[in-house]
Amino acid sequence: MTIVFTGPDDREADGSTHRPLDGHGTLEKRERRWGLMFVTPWLLGLVLLFVIPLVLSLLMSFTNYELVDTDNQEVTWVGLDNWRRIFSDPDVANGLWVTMKFALMYLPISTLLPLGVAYLLTSERLWGRSLFRVLFYLPSMVPLVAAMIIWRFYLNSESGWFARLLRWVGFDPPNFLGDPAWVLPALILIGTWGIGNGIIIFIAALNGVPKELYEAARIDGANKWHLFRDVTWPMISPITFYNIIVTLVGLGQYFLVPFILNGAEGRPEGASKFYTMVFFQETFSFFQAGYGAALAWAMFIVVFALTVLLFWSAKFWVHYEFEER
Amino acid sequence: MKPKSQVNHLLRTLIFLSVLALFASACGGSTSSSTTSDDADSTTTDTVDDSATGDDAMEDEDAMDDAETEAEDTSDASDGDRTEVRWFVGLGTGSQDEQIDRQDAVVDAFNSSQDSIELVVEYIDNTTAKDVLATQIAAGNAPDIIGPVGLEGSNAFAGQYADLEPLIAAAEFDLSPFAGSEESYRTAEGALEGVPFATFPSGIFFNKDLFDEAGLPYPPAEYNADGTSLYGEGTEYEGDWTYDKLAEIAAILSVDAAGNDATSAAYDKANVVQFGFAHQWTSNPASLGTSFGAGRIEQADGSAQVPAEWVESYKWYQNLVHEVNAAPNSAQTASDLLAGNAFNSGNVAMASTHLWYTCCIADVGDAWDIGALPTHNGTLVSKLHGDTFRIHKDSENQQDAFTVLEYFFGDGALDLLDVYGGMPARPDIRDTYFAALDEQFPQGVNWDIIIEGLEYADSPNHQTGMPNFLEADARVKELEGPLLEDPDFDIDAAIAALEADLNALWAS
Repeated sequence: MTIVFTGPDDREADGSTHRPLDGHGTLEKRERRWGLMFVTPWLLGLVLLFVIPLVLSLLMSFTNYELVDTDNQEVTWVGLDNWRRIFSDPDVANGLWVTMKFALMYLPISTLLPLGVAYLLTSERLWGRSLFRVLFYLPSMVPLVAAMIIWRFYLNSESGWFARLLRWVGFDPPNFLGDPAWVLPALILIGTWGIGNGIIIFIAALNGVPKELYEAARIDGANKWHLFRDVTWPMISPITFYNIIVTLVGLGQYFLVPFILNGAEGRPEGASKFYTMVFFQETFSFFQAGYGAALAWAMFIVVFALTVLLFWSAKFWVHYEFEER
Repeated sequence: MKPKSQVNHLLRTLIFLSVLALFASACGGSTSSSTTSDDADSTTTDTVDDSATGDDAMEDEDAMDDAETEAEDTSDASDGDRTEVRWFVGLGTGSQDEQIDRQDAVVDAFNSSQDSIELVVEYIDNTTAKDVLATQIAAGNAPDIIGPVGLEGSNAFAGQYADLEPLIAAAEFDLSPFAGSEESYRTAEGALEGVPFATFPSGIFFNKDLFDEAGLPYPPAEYNADGTSLYGEGTEYEGDWTYDKLAEIAAILSVDAAGNDATSAAYDKANVVQFGFAHQWTSNPASLGTSFGAGRIEQADGSAQVPAEWVESYKWYQNLVHEVNAAPNSAQTASDLLAGNAFNSGNVAMASTHLWYTCCIADVGDAWDIGALPTHNGTLVSKLHGDTFRIHKDSENQQDAFTVLEYFFGDGALDLLDVYGGMPARPDIRDTYFAALDEQFPQGVNWDIIIEGLEYADSPNHQTGMPNFLEADARVKELEGPLLEDPDFDIDAAIAALEADLNALWAS
């Protein structure tokens, strides 16, 4: 932080200061130098590890570059061919459709479920609140690959515990991971395992709502629903907004869970072939890195556009106490 | 304002930081590689580089015990003169935990057998090996030797392998023990990209206890001259050993929780506890189809047409899985009952698979043997897998890499074949190989039926490449999932769609 001396003792009679504020003061120069030294590694990292690869990947999307050259084809500039191909590739259409269906189902659940659980976990009447918080957060600490292996066994339609439970209550268990109609609901069920982070964030947000607001509202005759709608929800709306943005960006990158469970081909019958898996398959299975780069940039554009849309919508539903955005 | 002075300051600072960063990287690299030099056991993806013999590593030796110090001294003394040859393992078999130590022993034996080459092995898990190798090649950091790898794994990297013929000539390597089988590794352009190392014929692995329990004769133990065989000679089950006969026997061997077999009207398909048959890890469409007849999807005119025998094979297996319920579907294979390794669970009576399955058959006990493969329309097809080692075309040490291969095909052959469970491609060392297998499986396995299968090997091989191999192969494999998962899967419609897609792909 730059320290600027503006007190009355620092001023000459004509209003000028003893210490020059144009960056030539010894202290300021020293601070500037240290500041640059501290920030330079980060800037170097940003440029070398992010900016240059990003620019290169964009350039790559206009070439026919193959990760491994299996047909002795020279790398050439193909203009917008890769980008045009995106619009005619049935795999891309399927990947987008699968991703969109999943997002439409998962986004509300991943927002409302943590909020609901956090609401319950902040109740003063709940016994063992800390224990429940730990229990809800615990799944988030299990390594994802290990968790997926457990889920695979759990959801097995023959011997999985969930199937046994359904049979016990008289239902014929579906083939969760092998039936095109059930694979997305199964992935959403698995996704609920990761709501611990959202719960923690919502708990912090709920605890941050000033109690005076509730007391004032109660005096005005507000019931529980009114308290939630008119006090809690507006006050936690910035956090909700943040959670939605993070989830949306995460959905654009959703890959590992379906990849571990059903492979890059998105079994069964492409029903779990998310857009990211099309990207993975084209780039790393078919070695079409140029096309893969175009796919990655296209997804970035889509997610970026949706994020901008969300930011625009924020003025209608996100409440900032000091009107900051 | 003194902008020039500020810029100078900034430049000086940046240069200082850059130099600092370079030093940090260099020091970091040295420390890291020094720990990997003799650490192949614990580090499967790291490689040794020359900096491993740097000062840091030498200083660390003081803290080591005598034996370790001695070992490191030996390697350090020669590292400077040795050419490093990198060996990439994982594209085929070889990266399982239980295989790593034994391959390390081969590497150590090679390294101590001469003083001009330092063989460095990289083990990559099979599930990611293709991606890792692709990345290494793309980064200009391709390994020298890749293998063991079969045809299918090799097809994915077509055009990346060196022609071995000049290396063979320079080394005066004798190909005569391979009896001409190396020709199967010759490309259409005439380059010899591999020398056969291990072959994996197929057979019917069967569980004798389950057959005894059902009072059924075992599968035939030998082939007639024409490849046919007779099942249950002199019993009520006597008949030609065909896939229909196998299905009949498999139904009797499939049992539900109440003890009813699949021929009974009371057979409860939802509670099967024992299956009669499984295509053990060989249910990908090309392999499954070839059971009924060898062929290729790519026709002579360049169009796509799935061989009629393949379609018959898919329908036969679909019926066995979803109608008779004498073979497990995907969920049943992954269930606790079969645990992903159907025959090994002891709950499957017969499995059609390759010799490499001896790798993974520890739990079923010693009550198993190998029988004859059935015929379809009077024709026997024994699907064959073959592994080899390849040299990357960009390797700067191709002749040294071939020296390593000479060792693999010579002194190290039996050790490596034992690790991979592969039958030697060289007939002259097969007896020694099977003697070792007999020690491992003392119940007296009928290995002869496996060797006989070589005479009926699939030609063309089911792993033969096709145009746009990566995309085409992925599209073909999409058949497998619904075939094993969907009882209502319309095979004819799926085949028509597959052919249309492949024609479009190849036309593009």
